[in-house]
Amino acid sequence: MESKDTLRTQRSRVGRLGASRSGTGDNARMRMTSIALVPLTVAFMVMVLDLVSKDYNAVRSYLGHPLPALLMLLFIGAGVLHMQIGMKAIIEDYVHGPHLKEAALTANVFFAVSAGLACAYAVLRIGFA
Amino acid sequence: MAETERPGGRPLSPHLFIYRPMLTMIMSILHRATGAALYLGTGLLAWFLLAASIDVTAFETASWFLRSIYGQAVLLGFTWALMQHFLGGLRHALWDRGVWMDHPQREWLAQATLWGGLALTALAWALAWLMG
Repeated sequence: MESKDTLRTQRSRVGRLGASRSGTGDNARMRMTSIALVPLTVAFMVMVLDLVSKDYNAVRSYLGHPLPALLMLLFIGAGVLHMQIGMKAIIEDYVHGPHLKEAALTANVFFAVSAGLACAYAVLRIGFA
Repeated sequence: MAETERPGGRPLSPHLFIYRPMLTMIMSILHRATGAALYLGTGLLAWFLLAASIDVTAFETASWFLRSIYGQAVLLGFTWALMQHFLGGLRHALWDRGVWMDHPQREWLAQATLWGGLALTALAWALAWLMG
């Protein structure tokens, strides 16, 4: 049987072993989002500079075009996953106590998903309105 | 982290303040701090995009805040946070591949991250001023 996670032994996958129980997936996703965010951040900065001088209608027209919209959506998607994993590491390091840590990790996921969805919804709404 | 006693009254051995602040250490701390700041900044991005997607009034409110002194200060901070975190990420990508981890290369890399971040921030704002 092929294992998708090549950095884990079969036993560790089944037994959820390893101090943090899971981490290889996070590690891989962090590295992938980081690579994606190199060009995407450059694109984002270019778009922001383009948008600085624009009024309401010009902003809507700009973000309504496919290329800026898609780049923005990709930036948001990669960024949100990246930030969720990053904040997870911070919480695991500094937040202690059985319930507080769990709550913080949950809140982290909720915030990341909400912020990402809000941005994506806004971009799509501009494009399709 | 500031506690010096564990429950049970036993002392905690010094673990944080015994280190002399090195540039690489500061860059590492900044990488985490800028990451956390950018995390919160997503809310600001969401606000701007949602405002643009709703109507003129919402957009003008967001725009007014961003053009105010507070908004400009926040934006300047976020620009720097993004540039610093971006270059720090490139630094980590190099180190992941074992490149320039020795002394003095890691010091140069840390310097480049710091001054590069400031330079890119200044460049971005100069361009924004020219284009706005």
